[in-house]
Amino acid sequence: MIINWYTVMFQVINFLVLVFLLRRFLYGPIVNMMEEREEIIYKREEVAAAKKEKAELEAHNYRQKVELLQARDQKMLEEARADAEKERMSLLESTRLEVDETHKRWHKAMQREQETFLHDLRNRVGRQATLIAKQCLRDLADATLEEMVWHVFQQKVEQLPPAEQTRLQNAFTQEESIILRSALEPAPERLQELTTYLHAFFSQPVQVMYENSPELICGLELEVGGYRVAWHVEGYLKDVEKQILGNLSTTSKEEVMDVQAES
Amino acid sequence: MNINPDEIILLQAGWFQINATIFVTWLIMLLLVGGSWLVTRKLTSEGPISRGQNLLEVLVSSINHQIEEVSRQPAGPYLPFIGTLFIFIAVSNLLSVVPGYVPPTSSLSTTTALAISVFIAVPAFSIAKDGVRHYLRQYVKPTFFMLPFNIIGEVSRTLALAVRLYGNIMSGTIIVAILLTIVPLFFPVIMQVLGLLTGLIQAYIFGILAMVYIASASKTHKKTEEKGEQ
Repeated sequence: MIINWYTVMFQVINFLVLVFLLRRFLYGPIVNMMEEREEIIYKREEVAAAKKEKAELEAHNYRQKVELLQARDQKMLEEARADAEKERMSLLESTRLEVDETHKRWHKAMQREQETFLHDLRNRVGRQATLIAKQCLRDLADATLEEMVWHVFQQKVEQLPPAEQTRLQNAFTQEESIILRSALEPAPERLQELTTYLHAFFSQPVQVMYENSPELICGLELEVGGYRVAWHVEGYLKDVEKQILGNLSTTSKEEVMDVQAES
Repeated sequence: MNINPDEIILLQAGWFQINATIFVTWLIMLLLVGGSWLVTRKLTSEGPISRGQNLLEVLVSSINHQIEEVSRQPAGPYLPFIGTLFIFIAVSNLLSVVPGYVPPTSSLSTTTALAISVFIAVPAFSIAKDGVRHYLRQYVKPTFFMLPFNIIGEVSRTLALAVRLYGNIMSGTIIVAILLTIVPLFFPVIMQVLGLLTGLIQAYIFGILAMVYIASASKTHKKTEEKGEQ
């Protein structure tokens, strides 16, 4: 018979034994191990999910912080820019003021210098003009001119106003000597002539003392007790100098005004 | 030509005898259990796993998956039985590449033993799960007159299970033996390869059919329960 029941029985037993053994050595351990691994993986996934959630939360927080910092940076930057602009304007203004101040100082100094220069120039021109005139008259001075001077002087004395004449007489009362000053020594007849005249004028004898005075150009000066009667070119020249200087001063002021207008 | 391993007597002591079928089965058992033990004694759930563990995990999880697909139930209770059926038959058939090896599945005694195991396992699982009454009730479904046919069906499918596996493996062995005498070179090798494929497919078919029979017993019960509720 093709089926050996003895073998069949053995094989059934063998199969059952094999089922038992494989359950003990194969399925049990392997299935347990797979379940254990699944459990581990599941736990890891849970941990990972928790970590992911935490990480997302932290990332969200960090994003917010970064945005906050960026906003703060922007604000600070804008403030810094505004401050810088303000500082720039302030510096510009102070620099402008300083420049203006310097310019004014410089202008004043220049004006002062100009005025000094013009003043000096004026004085020099005036003096030079006077010196030239003095030199001219000195060169022209001779006997004829002397006579003419004497003549003019006598006229001046004679034509003194009554009040002046009174004052002159009063002055003579206090002082007995009369001083005559001249650049050139007068001729004796002229001196005598003057003495005679003064005698008549004061109604008493007078003594005229002569003093040489070179600064009196073409002129004479009579001093009676502090009262002076004089005629000389020096006075004219002083008037001329005064006039020249006045003219120069007017001219220089106009020039300064022109310079200010140009600046 | 004698290719029935039952008739190859290796040891005889009175009524007790060890034939090639039993001996080879023991060798296969030793191989499976020894291999499993070698691998599973160093199992690890973390870090890099060994190749053996990987292989066994793939094997077990594949069987699990197949059982769950067929039965629509958790594979846990069925895994040792169905898994052992598949692994034993598959290893028995695949070892036929070894020269001089005669697979125990080419013995009708072995396939009958396996079929009987399935024949017993079907009511055993069903009763363990749903009870005796529920199991017996399905013999008289849909009517009482179906009882003989159901019984015949139960027996005939067990017979078919045994004969199908036996026929396939035995025929493969015989074909190779015949071809060796006709075309001794190359061609038998191709047939051997085909034999490997056939052996693996037969193991799969045997396991799946066993699972279908077991599952159908509880499935019927489930459907009945659902109808009762309605």
